[in-house]
Amino acid sequence: MTGRAWHASAVTVLALMTSAACRSGPRPQPGDPMLDAIRAEEREGKLTYVESQGRRLFVHYCATCHGDDARGDGQNASNLNPPPPDMTVSRMSQDPALTRRVIAEGSAAVGRSPLSPPWGRSLSQQQIDYLVAYCQSLGRETP
Amino acid sequence: MEVRNIAPLRLHLLFAGLGITFLLIFSWVLFHEEAAEWRTTQARFRQLEGDVKNPHQLAEAASVGGLRQVWLPDLGRIDRCETCHLGIDDPAFAGAPAPFATHPGTWLATHPTGRFGCTPCHDGQGQATDYAAAAHRPQPFVTRPMRPLETIEANCGTCHRALDPTDAPRLAEGRRLIAESGCFGCHEIPGFEGMTFRGPALDSVGYKVRPAWLASWLKDPKSYLAQSKMGNFRLSPDEIGSLQGFLLSQRMQVPLDSTGVDWKNADTANGRALFGELRCVSCHAVNGRGGTMGPELTNIGDKVRRDWLFSYLKDPHRVQADTPMLQYRLNDAQWRDLTAFLLEQYSSADTGAEPPPVTYQDARLLAAGRAVFERRGCSSCHRLAAIKETGRIGPSLAGIADRDPDELPYGGSTVRHTTDNYIFLKVLLPDTLGQPSGMPTFGFSPADAARITLALASIRKSDLPASYVVGRPALVPYRPGGKFGELVMRYRCLSCHTVGGFGGDLSTVPLDRIGSQLQRDYLANYLLNPGAVRVSVEARMPVFHLSPDEAKTIADYVSMVFLDDRFDRYDTKFTSAEARRGQELYGQLGCQACHQLGTKGGYVGPELSTTGARLKPGWIAAWLSTPQTYKPGTLQPDYGLSGADARALTAYLTSLGRSDAAKARGGKTP
Ligand code: HEC
Repeated sequence: MTGRAWHASAVTVLALMTSAACRSGPRPQPGDPMLDAIRAEEREGKLTYVESQGRRLFVHYCATCHGDDARGDGQNASNLNPPPPDMTVSRMSQDPALTRRVIAEGSAAVGRSPLSPPWGRSLSQQQIDYLVAYCQSLGRETP
Repeated sequence: MEVRNIAPLRLHLLFAGLGITFLLIFSWVLFHEEAAEWRTTQARFRQLEGDVKNPHQLAEAASVGGLRQVWLPDLGRIDRCETCHLGIDDPAFAGAPAPFATHPGTWLATHPTGRFGCTPCHDGQGQATDYAAAAHRPQPFVTRPMRPLETIEANCGTCHRALDPTDAPRLAEGRRLIAESGCFGCHEIPGFEGMTFRGPALDSVGYKVRPAWLASWLKDPKSYLAQSKMGNFRLSPDEIGSLQGFLLSQRMQVPLDSTGVDWKNADTANGRALFGELRCVSCHAVNGRGGTMGPELTNIGDKVRRDWLFSYLKDPHRVQADTPMLQYRLNDAQWRDLTAFLLEQYSSADTGAEPPPVTYQDARLLAAGRAVFERRGCSSCHRLAAIKETGRIGPSLAGIADRDPDELPYGGSTVRHTTDNYIFLKVLLPDTLGQPSGMPTFGFSPADAARITLALASIRKSDLPASYVVGRPALVPYRPGGKFGELVMRYRCLSCHTVGGFGGDLSTVPLDRIGSQLQRDYLANYLLNPGAVRVSVEARMPVFHLSPDEAKTIADYVSMVFLDDRFDRYDTKFTSAEARRGQELYGQLGCQACHQLGTKGGYVGPELSTTGARLKPGWIAAWLSTPQTYKPGTLQPDYGLSGADARALTAYLTSLGRSDAAKARGGKTP
């Protein structure tokens, strides 16, 4: 972050802190700037806490093939045939059970190529839950 | 003494009145208890249970009514939350309405309520049995109401002390920021013991930097380097002037002699080539791209003097013994070319000619500068022989999360009084909380400040029983001796590689077992000419310009010392049937998705066409069987291979590249 950008955001937080007090009539609501900072970041990413956990894992484990935003444009995608689909439009990512199967057991387990590896033994069930939640958030209409 | 005479009738009336009052109170208490919130909640639950479970299941395990509590004497807690959260560990209630729903995720499998209760993770008032008193939302006079999910990782950190706890990314990021920013230079911070943060030593800074640069750096380090780790101390112009004078007078160690260097004939094109070949960008960024271990070099020409740079490149360890920077093996003409290239290429256009060194005579100015240096605790991060170490200048942060939030200063801001908010504002804008603060402004973004807050809010003063603490393994410093030890120091192997967890983690390869992983001859050649094993990795091993003798010493040492018997005992007599089966598996499992073989395949993992010459079979089999045990977080998936399948793949991979390697070697291996 550049000097100016952080300064601007710091001022925003200060403004939030004080405006919470001035805003509403008789009993001012005390502000929670720390929580607001986290929520502001979450809103920017448009993901819930669980989905953002999934996104973090996705970027680490899957993005080389699937691309940072799951559009099927990872740097390794051109080496794959069939290529990874654009998961923001793919129908399949909308089915949580099937998605879980592909992630845990690999794409071969649902009768497709063996190119999406099985992660069930490498990741915890909790982590796979997170990944499924993130994959499902991908098709969501963004307002 | 006078004795009062009370009429018997009045006495009777008094007793009757009192009796009735007590009766009323008693029946009110009974009624109130009977109508308690948790009883109605339990009644609702029994209804729901009837819907969710069949009669058989109900007969087996119907819920028991009454107050339910978990007593955790070790933690000094009693949690009655399960009085209402009745379905919390029963999967039959997944998706049920609050408060009956099953706990989401798999957290209770690792944190059963019988051992952990609820409040160690969630906070709130565990002993309460109604919604408001349990402090599900912030309540007056409750110091620790329930944490919203967004900040719950702070409580993970109370037990999980590793720097990088899994599944708590915000906490991990906060701890990383603390480690990187060196907060423990000025504050004692539990969990960061033994870490040192070092800015450069300043003993000879007068020979190193240009005066104009120094003044602007002291005013605001971020104006030179947006990612600067040094905070802004908000110094006044007077303070800057005197500190500048004081620092420029520090000239303890004269740079290496460069009077004989022929600067006129410096070949910057050669300097550029060296800059690429030595892989400086693995550690130093230029124009925003490259590693972060060393300082960014984009405007290095604005900052340093030529003679100093030449001398530093030639022998960085002379200037600072504990720098992670390695000492390459080049000659003076090469150092000259590299120096000239850096100064010409990486400086802003308006850098003037190098000014002659100034000698400051004004004793008052020097004394004032020295006073600023001492008062602001500069020696917490910078060594300066002229100043004795002052110790930590900031307050200790031990137990910070348990400080009474109402006793902390909030400087007139109207925030809710919580330790979270206090820490957050202090980290983000140190000067806004009442008294002027000596703490520099680091320029964290609000989101980063929040993550640092999470990490600090995990530091309770509690005497948590050891059985709950998931620790950070104690690191044993690794200092080999002898000729090998000298080479490890000179080339700073441990800046990037680890041995026994000790060292830097820039490289993906720990050295502990490297002798049982790599073929010795391959390693010896690799040290002389390190190519990229994986196509997609940016940080590359530098070309050290080792002598063949040095390469031999290192290769011999590690292949005799860094061993793991389990790999070396592997039976390496493979049959051709095994190799054929391995080749089949290679296609079936989709290995080609990530690995290149010849010209086909992906480039996520290493290229495999020379595996046989590179890796030892026992290691290949072990790695394929359980990759995560050797490298947590690796992208190599665990396929659950049977011993026979792992062996077949090993047979196939070992057969790759053997003959070529033997030919290529042709007796040249050191
Ligand atoms: C080596 C490259 C690679 C990696 C790494 C990888 N995938 Fe895949 N993935 C693919 C390919 C290729 C396909 C398409 C397979 C097919 O159609 O046969 C795919 C398909 C999928 C699908 C089905 C998508 C759809 O809409 O049809 C999901 C879900 C998926 N991957 C999830 C993941 C997750 C989650 C990870 C990380 C934990 C991951 N993948 C890692 C290559 C990869």
